[in-house]
Formats: sequence, structure tokens, C-alpha cells
Amino acid sequence: MPSVSEWYRADRMPHIFCTGCGNGTVLNCTLQAASDMGWEIDDTVFVSGIGCSSRASGYTAADSLHTTHGRALAFATGVKMAHPEFNVVVFTGDGDLSAIGGNHFIHACRRNIDMTVICMNNMIYGMTGGQGSPCTPRGAFSTTTPYGAQEPTFDLAELAVAAGANYVSRWTTYHVKQLTDSIKTGMETPGLSFIETMSQCPTSYGRKNKLRQPLDMIEYLRDHSILISKKRRLEAEGKVIPDTTFAVGEFVRRSRPVMGLKR
Amino acid sequence: MKLIIDESRCKGCNLCTLVCPYKIFREGSRLNEKGIVVPEFNGPERCTNCRLQKLYGRRLCGMCQLTCPDQAIKWVEEERFEDMKVVIEY
Repeated sequence: MPSVSEWYRADRMPHIFCTGCGNGTVLNCTLQAASDMGWEIDDTVFVSGIGCSSRASGYTAADSLHTTHGRALAFATGVKMAHPEFNVVVFTGDGDLSAIGGNHFIHACRRNIDMTVICMNNMIYGMTGGQGSPCTPRGAFSTTTPYGAQEPTFDLAELAVAAGANYVSRWTTYHVKQLTDSIKTGMETPGLSFIETMSQCPTSYGRKNKLRQPLDMIEYLRDHSILISKKRRLEAEGKVIPDTTFAVGEFVRRSRPVMGLKR
Repeated sequence: MKLIIDESRCKGCNLCTLVCPYKIFREGSRLNEKGIVVPEFNGPERCTNCRLQKLYGRRLCGMCQLTCPDQAIKWVEEERFEDMKVVIEY
């Protein structure tokens, strides 16, 4: 059973992520969860699309596929169908998963393929220079929204619940212990487990929104997250929930019929 | 066990100063050879994982290691100090 340090590809370190980028934290939590699961490195495949987040699969010692933009889930479906005994983990970003790969995402959730999807939602297209993504909060500035984003935000966790994923949760990069436990639960659950991680991007998002320092940005994530149980309680009491907050916690855990289960 | 910061990996984001519950990191003041201000220790003997990891047989806190985006924080075995030999010359 490999230890955590063996899951990293140490000869590729230090990685290319900017100072204070949250993707490294998510990579730590994922590899810790994979190590806790007792998986073998040779039986695991990491699949990723295009974007900052998708560079993460290159820093793992396991086999990885760095695929076309938005089609990571399509490639992962192929891997799982050809080799159902493999453990498939998909790293993807918000632009990759929700904008160009939205169609693949809802159908992967509908088919309920046995894999773990980890979405690093940094609320912007980081690699291409800070364009607004479907997950940019309303009123936030970016290269393509110089007067503040006017469109409503895409709630990916609720989308996965509606599309039929077996396990859906959302955490931030501040909640590392909860995130590790959540990824481990997702890996244990048969069927598609979707873990959305709100992650900080001080370089592209923070620079335009007065959160230039990584500490400011991670404190923003901590202060604007609200537990889903508390949110549901407040909704039942009829209280007003601020528009800028997002719910964190376990959204759903159920056992719908699963495709591509290990034989 | 001893806590070390790998200066070849650290990019100086100072996230460890926020997440450590024992506040054993603080912002550094000197540049290293890559031009990065690496955080420095402020009383690392307060770290529970350094003291009690062997006793409990598992990692205890590890918030800094999980949070560090650059995988720069790790624990290493501490070398046992050598027994001093005193030679008395007459």
C-alpha cells in the first residue's frame, strides 16, 4: 500500500501553479484520500481536461490522461468501460466542466458511471487570463466583465444532484479535513461522486476583485461559505440568505443504479 | 519528528500562517536565493505532530501539510544527538 509521498511525481516539483493557488491544496487532499483508500498506483487513472486545474493530473505518480477541453468525462467514461477494475478520478475546472463540457457532465451524472469527479471551482478562467466563467459570482470583475458580472451563477452541485449523481458535496480549500473526508467518501460510494471545491485564484480573480493576497482570498471563501444544514434551516424559517454566500457540505448521498461497477 | 519547509518548493504564499492552530509559522523577513520570502518558525516546539506522532502512531494535525499548495511542508526524522565524550588530559 503506497504512502502519500509516493503518489506525488516528485521529479516534476515544484509545480507551475501561481503563488497561493488552491489547486495544490486540492491535489494534496485527493492524494491523501487515495492513499487512505489503500488504492494501488497502477490501478488508478487520473483524467483531466484543459485549464489550470487540469495540470494537477501531471503531478501524480499514477497514469494520467490530459485530454481535450471539456471532454475529460468522455475520456474517463471510455477508460471505465474498457477497464472497469480501474479507479478513475477526474480533475476538472469550472470552465472545463460547466462551460464547454456541460453536456458531458450532465450525461455522466445521468449514466451514474462509477468515478470520482473533483471540480476545482476558482470562479474564473485562470489560465487564459481571467475571463468570466459560468461560475463567476454576480458583480465580480473579470477581463470580460469589466462592469461586474451580470449573469446568475451556475450552481454545479445542485446541477449534479438534479442530473442524478450518487454523491455530491461542496467544500472550499479552507476546509481541508472535511474536503479529504468528503473525497474519501466519494471514492467509497459506487456511482458518480461529484466534489466541488471552491478554490482561490489570487492571480486572475483576486487581482481584479481587491483580494490580491492569497490570505485575503481564502478568508473570503471561509466567510462566504454557509453550511447546507444551516442554509436549509434558515430557508425553513423564512429568513433571508445573502446572495453572495454559497452552501458547503454534503448535498446528497443515495444509491441509484450504477454503470461500470467493478466486477 | 521535526517540521521543515522545503525552500526549493515554497512560493511564499503564507497560507500556513493562517491555518496553523498553534501559530508556529510567521511571515519571513529575508529573501532566499530564488527571491522568495519563505515563512519562518515561531516556536516550532509547540507543534503537536512533532512531539506526539510517534506516541500515537498516526498523523495528528497536519493542517499545514494538507493546505500547503506547493507541498513544501513535511516532517523528517530528527537525528539523535551524538553522545559527547569528554577526555580529560593530565
